Amino acid sequence: MSETEQKLRNEAMTLLEQGRADYIIGYEAGSLKFTTTPLITRDKDDIDRLVINPFILNNLSVFLGDISGKAGIVAKGCDSRSIVSLIQDQQLAREDIVIIGVPCSGVIDLNKVEKLTGKDRDELDDIAWAGDKAVVTIEGAKKEFPAKDVLMDDCLSCDMPAPQEYDILLDEVGPLVCDKELSRSQIKELEEMSPEQRWEFWKNEFSRCIRCYACRQVCPACFCKRCFVEETEPQWISPLPKWQDNLIFQMTRMIHVAGRCTDCGECQRSCPVNIPLRSLSKKMEEIADELFQYKAGTDKDAPPLMAAYESEEAEDFIR
Amino acid sequence: MSQESEWEPKILGFLCRWCSYAGADLAGTSRKKYPANIRIIKIPCSGRIDPLLIIRALRTGFDGVLVSGCHPGDCHYQTGNYRARRRIAITKNFLEYMGMEPQRLQASWVSASEGGKFAEVVSEITRDLKEISPNRLFTDERDGTKATE
Repeated sequence: MSETEQKLRNEAMTLLEQGRADYIIGYEAGSLKFTTTPLITRDKDDIDRLVINPFILNNLSVFLGDISGKAGIVAKGCDSRSIVSLIQDQQLAREDIVIIGVPCSGVIDLNKVEKLTGKDRDELDDIAWAGDKAVVTIEGAKKEFPAKDVLMDDCLSCDMPAPQEYDILLDEVGPLVCDKELSRSQIKELEEMSPEQRWEFWKNEFSRCIRCYACRQVCPACFCKRCFVEETEPQWISPLPKWQDNLIFQMTRMIHVAGRCTDCGECQRSCPVNIPLRSLSKKMEEIADELFQYKAGTDKDAPPLMAAYESEEAEDFIR
Repeated sequence: MSQESEWEPKILGFLCRWCSYAGADLAGTSRKKYPANIRIIKIPCSGRIDPLLIIRALRTGFDGVLVSGCHPGDCHYQTGNYRARRRIAITKNFLEYMGMEPQRLQASWVSASEGGKFAEVVSEITRDLKEISPNRLFTDERDGTKATE
């Protein structure tokens, strides 16, 4: 067990014992090797199950809306921004949550490790961070890989690995590894295409969509109690997964979460048919930054992107 | 004569009740000539515009969408047009990234006294839209279905 993990368990236990939190939302080991799964508990006996490792993938802030009472939540940099964004949108009260900040070195993409080593996950003994290198142990032998070869794509574009807002900080901020070019390589490819080619590309991608709404469900920014796709008067889109309606669903969802999306990458990971959703959400983040110099979830006292304005801005397209 | 030059674009205009709608009215009463390509929906304020209304109009088969409201500072509800401006800017940039032609989503500030400007805006948009092809964004060649009317 790492020092950080021990510290987390101590802190979580204290929170429950002192009644500062009714619930703890964190990660526990998953059923497969090198995976984690969310753990939501009010039971002190469960605290020993909490883990911190390079595979704490999920954005746990999505659970905050469903919990009444005070919650202690484990948050990486991007998760803390999602929480701040929820506070900005008045979906949460700051005093109702205790944020246990984990300075994040990035989440390791197991698929990339498997590809690099040519081994299945069960053949790997251990994967851990050592500075800006990932150390993989296979049958006692250690192999080092540069971080940017094994990081999740969204982690590659991360420039805020430290929690923006926290009550408890578990550790010092680790080294920041990012490769923005690599992270937005698909967006760049798309930008170089003609509009027709781009539309054709997305049309193809969304022909696969089965409208399972997993992207919506895992998204902390999608907090509407009733989504427009389920409205019947008017019925905005057909419930059948036709590509036109799939596209409208996702385009509108992306516009709705503009200014809230922190590029945590959960939508893309949850997609069962592998639609590159990050190439939409990341682009939306860039548009908000370019037009309004707005970065989601960085200031809990700032008004949300779509609820604010400056008297002079973004006028060039208006006649 | 080619098919393209015979083609007349269909435009859906969302006009704010206080400024642009009255501006369009004035264009009519002052007998300004402008293309009959626009169909107008009156909205209470340009701040009422929802990206869904825009996307839905394109899905229905309109070739272009115009959102028009009061000049900055003149909103009847103080801030509606400022909010609309952010929303349209985000929507426009994003839809263009998806592959929509930039001409399809247009915005203008037209006050109640600017009947002439309204006529000009509609003429310009119609001309711009004629330069691109009819809206086939949501038409499916593969199964032959057309965008729903």
